[in-house]
Amino acid sequence: MKTRFLSFFVVFFGAVLLMSFTPQDQKKGSAWDIPAKYQKMKNTTKADDASLLKIGKMMWAKHCKSCHGSEGKGEGPKAKMLKTSIVDFTAKDFKSNADGSLYFKSFVGRDEMPNFEKKITSEEDRWAIINYIKTL
Amino acid sequence: MKRIILILSFFILPLSYILAQDEAETQSVPVRAPFESGVLIDNQTVQIPTKGTLEFLIHHRFGIVDNGITDLFGIYAPGANVRLGLNYSLRDNLVVGFGTTKNKKMQDFQWKWLIFEQTRDYKFPVSLAYYGNFAIDGRSDDAFGISYKFANRFSFFNQLIFSHRINDMISIQVSPSYTHYNIADSVSDHDKIGVSFSGRVKISPQSSIMIQADIPLKIKGISEQLEFTNPSKPNFGIGWEISTSTHAFQIYAGSAAGILPQEIMMNNQNNFFDGDFMIGFTITRLWSF
Repeated sequence: MKTRFLSFFVVFFGAVLLMSFTPQDQKKGSAWDIPAKYQKMKNTTKADDASLLKIGKMMWAKHCKSCHGSEGKGEGPKAKMLKTSIVDFTAKDFKSNADGSLYFKSFVGRDEMPNFEKKITSEEDRWAIINYIKTL
Repeated sequence: MKRIILILSFFILPLSYILAQDEAETQSVPVRAPFESGVLIDNQTVQIPTKGTLEFLIHHRFGIVDNGITDLFGIYAPGANVRLGLNYSLRDNLVVGFGTTKNKKMQDFQWKWLIFEQTRDYKFPVSLAYYGNFAIDGRSDDAFGISYKFANRFSFFNQLIFSHRINDMISIQVSPSYTHYNIADSVSDHDKIGVSFSGRVKISPQSSIMIQADIPLKIKGISEQLEFTNPSKPNFGIGWEISTSTHAFQIYAGSAAGILPQEIMMNNQNNFFDGDFMIGFTITRLWSF
């Protein structure tokens, strides 16, 4: 009886402890403050370059998909573990982002959006990802 | 004398390439990363994480699979080996690291230098890296015979890695190497020259099939024996790699129980095609600073 009670106690409090690490509610991210340098930044590649879009898709799968999902709607397996909800890249609002703004958000990042400048070092590869994001 | 020439050639050859690179300073753009991580099964690749990156590696292999389901294809079998390693990129083309391995309690210090990269315009049709390590056998003094000296524990491995990225999917490598052990038993050699072949075929944006062959060469000129008695056998491996932004996960079948390359080149007695292979995996994790 004593052992059964002890087992119940361990399982119950273990579950409570685990639940305490699960985000209960995801908040919406605040507006981004994009530095002037990035607001003026121009895309140095052709947005419709098919070979570059292929590279962008491969890079997306490696670096972005785990949170942003295959379709870019924020349906990746890690998305639910974040405190901030992920923006839907297929939404109309998102499409109004300028290239430089997308560049800053994607590679400089903030808070839970990691910095990718050291992981994706080539400018061409970065623009390839931006170009791919715009096709989602 | 021949040995000295060989050793010198391994150190001087990379320097000659550096000088050549200075002369041929070019605006050519390097090819995209030919490999997903710095290791490919048992081999090193030309890949080096960017400056300021810390890499943690877990190499593990289980026992030999030949006892089948009885010991769950080697997972329950004796003879497992593991290496834990930490690497740090001092520059975009230079990484140094330390690792500790279960078999022989080997403690290794290693370095890898990407001397030049393949360019998209084919001015440099290959990438070239130099990899070296120095390992200390950590077993008790008894393992080293009657006239024990601390230096008997040392072994060295030097390798040039030539890599060619054929296209977005396929990359290959050829890597000649020189292994030296400070102590060898009466029927073995202190030195071994070998050549490794390795490559990957990308089958999806995150997955690749990897293959490798490490061939120790029987060269009479550097052997101290009249006949080769139980020379080390070639090591073959095939595996699957999945990579993400910060991780690479490789699972494979390979014949060498050793993890350090000098152990593979000098002491592998397993024949892959006789069923002497084991399941292994490697996990790498990167942190950027």
